[in-house]
Parts: sequence; C-alpha cells; structure tokens
Amino acid sequence: MKRFSLLVGAVSLVLFVAISGASAATPQNILVVAQSIDDAVSFDPAEGYELTTVQSFNNIYQRLVQSNPAKPTELVPTLASSWKIASDGKSIVFELKSGASFSSGNPVRPEDVIFSLSRAVKLNKSPAFILNSLGWTAENVDSFLAKVDERHVSLKWGANVGPSFVLNLLTAPIASIVDQKIAQSHEQAGDFGNGYLKTNSAGSGSFVIKSYVPHDSLVFDANPTSPAGKAKLQSVIIKNVADPAARRLLVEQGDADIARDLGTDQIAALKGKAGVSVVPFASAQQDYIIINAANEGNPALKNPALWQAARYLVDYDGIATKLLSGQVSVHQAFLPNGFPGALADNPYKLDVAKAKGILAKAGLKDVSITLSVFNQPPFTDIAQSLQSTFAQAGIKLVVQPSITSEVYSKIRSRTYEAAILFWIPDYFDAHSNASAFAVNRDDGSKTVAWRAGWSISKLSDKTDAAVAAKDPAARAKLYGEIQREVQSSSPFVFAFQSTDQVVLRSNVKGYVQGINADQVYYASVTK
Amino acid sequence: MSTARGRKPLRRFFSVIGGSVLTLVATVFALLLITFFLNSRSPIDPALAVAGDHASQATYRQTRLQLGLDDPIAVQFARYVGRLARGDLGISRSTGQSVASDLSRAFPATIELATLALLLSTIVGLALALAAASRPGGFWDSVSRALSLVGTSVPVFWFGLLLLALFYARLKLLGGPGRLDDVYQYTVNIKTGFLLFDALRSGQAGAFRNALSHIVLPVAVLALDGSARISRITRSSLLDELSKEYATFARSKGATQRRILLRHALPNVRGSTIIVVALTYLDLLEGAVLTETVFSWPGVGRYLTTALFAADSPAILGTTFALGVLFVLINATVDSLVKLIDPRLK
Repeated sequence: MKRFSLLVGAVSLVLFVAISGASAATPQNILVVAQSIDDAVSFDPAEGYELTTVQSFNNIYQRLVQSNPAKPTELVPTLASSWKIASDGKSIVFELKSGASFSSGNPVRPEDVIFSLSRAVKLNKSPAFILNSLGWTAENVDSFLAKVDERHVSLKWGANVGPSFVLNLLTAPIASIVDQKIAQSHEQAGDFGNGYLKTNSAGSGSFVIKSYVPHDSLVFDANPTSPAGKAKLQSVIIKNVADPAARRLLVEQGDADIARDLGTDQIAALKGKAGVSVVPFASAQQDYIIINAANEGNPALKNPALWQAARYLVDYDGIATKLLSGQVSVHQAFLPNGFPGALADNPYKLDVAKAKGILAKAGLKDVSITLSVFNQPPFTDIAQSLQSTFAQAGIKLVVQPSITSEVYSKIRSRTYEAAILFWIPDYFDAHSNASAFAVNRDDGSKTVAWRAGWSISKLSDKTDAAVAAKDPAARAKLYGEIQREVQSSSPFVFAFQSTDQVVLRSNVKGYVQGINADQVYYASVTK
Repeated sequence: MSTARGRKPLRRFFSVIGGSVLTLVATVFALLLITFFLNSRSPIDPALAVAGDHASQATYRQTRLQLGLDDPIAVQFARYVGRLARGDLGISRSTGQSVASDLSRAFPATIELATLALLLSTIVGLALALAAASRPGGFWDSVSRALSLVGTSVPVFWFGLLLLALFYARLKLLGGPGRLDDVYQYTVNIKTGFLLFDALRSGQAGAFRNALSHIVLPVAVLALDGSARISRITRSSLLDELSKEYATFARSKGATQRRILLRHALPNVRGSTIIVVALTYLDLLEGAVLTETVFSWPGVGRYLTTALFAADSPAILGTTFALGVLFVLINATVDSLVKLIDPRLK
C-alpha cells in the first residue's frame, strides 16, 4: 500500500508540474501560422513547386516584376525599375533597381539575374517547364540572357510568344532572383548551389529562412535591408500541424495567429467566435471532373455524349451553397474569375431529364464508371453528391478514394476512368491553363488534355496563336472562344472555383493574400 | 595460462555473440528485402511524387533517371544495400535531407513519448491487475475489464482530440499540439532530441514544465491502450497462479490475499509480464501515427507514413531498417531477461 501511494503521489506531482507549465498566447513580435508543411520538398526557387514552398518564395525572394496582389493584372516593377520591349517583340531590356541588395549585403547585379534564370532552366526541376515555354532549354538558355551594362540585362526568347506573356511569366516563383555569389560559394558537383538552397535562402525578400526542420517547422526572420522594406514583425514561425481540428484548437486558443485549410465544419464553428475572424480570399484554384477517353477498358468513356450528359448531372448549386457552403462558387470555364478573358456565365445546370435524353440518343445504357478521388474533403463530399445525381440518370459511379500521390499516378499513366481533380494556374496568364486543357497534339508532352485522351490539333493551334498575339484584347477574344469550345465539347466538366478561407486572430492586421496560390505576403502583418 | 577447458567458455561466448549478430543481420536483411519488393509494387509513382504533377515530360524523365528507377529491381536493391553497408542511409526524396538526420530527430521524439507511455501503462496496468485479482468479480475487477474494453476499442484519434478539446481548449490546464510552446523555441539547446532531458540540461525550468505539459496528453492517449493490454494479460496470469496448489496451501496457513499476491503470485508471472510490457513498448515505438498526427508530434510513425504516401524509398527503407534493428535487439534482450529471472532455467 505504501509503495502504491508513493506511486500515486509521484504521478500527481508530475501532473501538477505539467499543469504549471501550460501557457498560451504567441510572443508579441512573432507571427505563428498553423498549417501543414508536409508537402515541402525544396526551398530552391528553381526546384520548389509545392504550396508551402511557392508561398515562401514571395517572402524570401524577389523577381524582376511581380503581380500586384490587390490587382493581379497590374505588373509591379520590383527588382527591375523599368523595361524596354524591342520593336520586334522578341526581347526585353530591364533596368535594375539601383541600390537593391540581397540579405547577404551583395548588390543585385545583372549577373545574378542571368545566373538565376539560366540555372533554373539547366537544373530542369519541377517548375522548369514554365521557362521552357519561352523556348529556353539547357543547351540554349545562355544565348538568350546577356548583361548589357552594370545596371541593364537583356532577355531574349525564341518561342512564338508575345512580350506581355513573357512579363507575366517573369512573375512566377521560378523567376526569383538568387544571390549568385552565395549560391556558388555552396556549389557541389555542379548543382548551382541547389543542395544549399534546398533549406537556406539567398534572396532579397522581406524575410530570410532562419531554420527549416522538415515536417516540423519553418522559421523566417525579418531581413532589415530588403528593397521591399523591412517587415513589420521580427519573425514568422510556420508550424506543421497536420490535423485540421488541431489547427482549429490552436488558433482558437491564441497559440497560433493564423490557421489555414480548415474544413467546412470547423469554419462554421469558428464564425462568430470572439477573438478569431474567418477571412475569405479569392483563389484561382478550380475543381473539375476529368473523363479518360483513352481508357480502352470502358468504351463508353470515349463517347462525347457521355461527356455532354455529365455536364448536366452535377448539382452545381447544391454543392456550392449547401455541401461546401462558403468554400466554392460555381464556375464552368477553364480560366478562373479574376483572369482577364475568363467567361463569366455558367450555362450548365443540374438537369437529369436532359442528361437522360442525351444518353438515350447515343444508345449509352448501363454505364458504370470508377471515379478516382483524393481521400479528403471536399473531394469525397463532391464525389458522393455526383454518385447520387449520376445514378438518377442510370450511370453507376463507383467512388474510389485514394491518397493524392496514387491518384496522380493513375492520371499520368491513364489507367483511371474518371476523376475529380483540382488545378491551380502556374503563373498569372491565361496560357497557363490554356496550355494544359486546350493543347494536345499527342507528341509526347503529357498535357492535361492528353491525360484525358482528347486529341485536339486545331484547338492547339488556336491556343498557340493566342499566346503569340501581341494585343491583349485579341488575346482575350481568342481565349473566350477556346474556353467556349472546351466548355461544350471536352471530356472536362469544370464545376467550381475555390475561395480560400483563412482563419486569423482578430488582432492580426495587414495580412495579404492574392488570387494566385503563391501570393501570400507576411511583410506587412502586425499584431 | 589457458587450458583447453578454459578456452571453451570463451569460444562459446564468441560463438553466442556471433550467432546473435548473424541472426540480427539475417533478420534485418530479410526485412529490407521484403520491404523493398513490396515498395516496388506500390501504385504510387515515386518520380511523380518528386517532380510534381505539372512537371514537363523532360523533367519527369530526368527525375526517373536521377532516382535510378529504370534500373532492374535487383540492381536498385543491391545499390541500396551497398550504400547501407557503408553507413549511408541515403537522402529522403520528400524532405531532401539525409534519412539519418531525419531519423535522428524523429526517433528521440517517439522514444520520449513511448517510454513515458510505457511507464504509465505499466504502473496503471499492474496496479489494476493486482486490485482485480485480489477480489475477482469485485469493483476493481469490473474497472479493469471495462478499461480493457475501452482501451482497445476507443478510436485513438477521437480520444486524443477529445482530450485536447477538454484539457487544452476548455480548461486550459495543459499544453496543446506540438512538443513545446514557441516562446521556448530558442531557449532550449537541443542536443539529444529528448526535450525533457535537454530542457533540464539547459537549466530551463520553464521550458521543462512546458514540455511536460505538452507530453501529458499524448502519453495518456497511448497509455490507455497500453495499460488495457498489460492489465488484461497480468490479471489472467495472476488468477491462474492463484488457482494453483501452493496458493491454496499458503491461504490455509493463514497468509492474507495481499501477501499471496505480492510475494508469491506476482513474482511467478514476471516472465509473461515482461513479455507483454516489451511487446507494448515495441508497439508504441513502431509508430503511434494517429496520436502523433493529432498532437503534431514529429515522430517515427508520421515520418514513415508520410514517406509511404510519397513512395519515398530511402526514407521507408531507412526507417524500416532502424525499427528492425531495434525490434531484434529488444526481443533478444527480453528473451535473455526472461531466461535470467526464471529460476527453473538456472
């Protein structure tokens, strides 16, 4: 008995000490963000292409030009103070901002611009395809970049694209300007400093990476000499909190200042709670259904009548207003709202009778389709709704949830039948989405249209013409036509555009987020 | 001076050690082989996981080349084993860091959690088993049986969130998800990765108490299942012992139930108790991935699960290797311990 009470006493003592150690509230000059950072692979802007990493690049690096988060069509001169487009429309000369320097103290020079862009192409990592659309390859990129003088650098390109497109491209994270001297001092086996930059920053942004522990935390410290101006707060700690319910608890208790990616139920529970506010930010992410016309095992999938019927079997309003209230809005074109030239109308509605008619006319009976979805909300919710509406027209949907990487593997290998996917534009230009959904010449490049088995050489030509056009109005008109064609005759059913609902503590001010996935800015945040 | 007889025990000692090492190597090798083969059958494309969905075909092919994915499986395995033999666990494809450094962070976190959970499980499990066995059918017996049921059937995820909602959010008594509050991020000098130990060594009392307040809830969640197991096995072993002749004899001589339990029955069930405790420890070490997810505990379970989802071969194999070695060592230790304490085998 004595030994037992001793044990009980010991456990109680431990508990007592533990309770005395609980504290809440984040430090005053540190911003704490609760999100998942499990997706991060590399913080080298030539390599990182996940949400966590691209959102970081806006804070630790700068580009020649950047898009204004409040008005994304507006280009803001950043490391370039001005530029001059050549008369033939195939090159631009940039004047670099005077007095700009990296966090190391090294000045920003034309050599840094050339180094950053050429290494991104030569390393040929995930986001390299963006610069490849300029016709830049590892073999030829050096011939397109040239130092004009101490303050000027010239960029040329060989692809048939217009200068407005090129400028838009240069706002993408891969075009971040890296401190060449720092990167090269850490070069190993010709990697252009990639090994070092995976976990360290060498830029001119408002912050620098203080520490990065994979799956645990990412810490930024303010960069006092940034040309963007000094950040208002001293540090930003981005904590890895994998579970959305845990993120909600943290922001509710004040142990986190910002929480991302909470589910519909959690957001609903937080609305109206004291101390927190749910802020909806416009997002360019779109959810769409993709049908695999190249799947030989299920011949019904090839039939355009099935695709047409599918357009009438989605309960657009029900899903947007009831199931996922606040998280999505109905949008049925491949250019998201906010992009110039995006179609604003939504011609399709849930119409089971019409769908039945289309299927009957095409002689499609007893159709069964396996629908691959990511095993997380909102995709599982959308899938369940589709299952019931498709069933009303006699189409059996077998929903197969899997983890993200497995779904992507199926899509790329074209072994799926149908799927619900999402798409986020890679840069703020219509060509980003158009080149994915409206180009497929079956020539080896696996665009999204290829993954749906949709061969469209004429439409591909039109898309190429749209990116080459010099006049913005002409471009917008062409994209209008291309969207219409995709909307009415492709194996894609574009359904929703997301709203990013971010939860902020009420004392957090100055947080900026733009429509592009990477446009997250911490520099002006105050508490 | 060593005679022929004197040399025999030495030789036998070395042959026993050699035999154990051989067993260890053979077991771990077989484990790696099976894991490698199963991983090669994964429906996840590892190159796609690295290159990303938007990457160009050229980047994708380059990634496949750099990862050596187009080589025959046997060649890939041989390459891996060769590097492993040189002490190189490789680079994780999803973190970009060496697997060794990833594990050097993940293991201490898990070991800290698992060890404390085991301690609590053993204390509670044994206490309950003794109370239950001393009066079968009584109050404590019912409690112990209820605990066994609840402990093994309650969803860990739900229970963890419930505890967080209650003790962290509502009552504000204990720390939330994560190992330490951000205020202490830079004050603790992290040497070993065992936060409680590091905080003590740095002389940071506040950090120590804070780390303790964060570890209590995940330990409680894990201990629920652990104590259920330990109490169930120990209780039935004790009841077995109590029905034996020597117990009846001792009772007839006037010994109290308590004395019989503590001085006769409990020592006799040492063997099975040690085994169930060791098995519980192995289970806790291998990865309380759901608990780690809810409490944002960056341990081995989460690391391995994230690696599996990304088909991150080096991380999967490295973690399996480390866990395999740990398992074999713990099993061997338990085996020798049981043999040691069993007087019948002396």
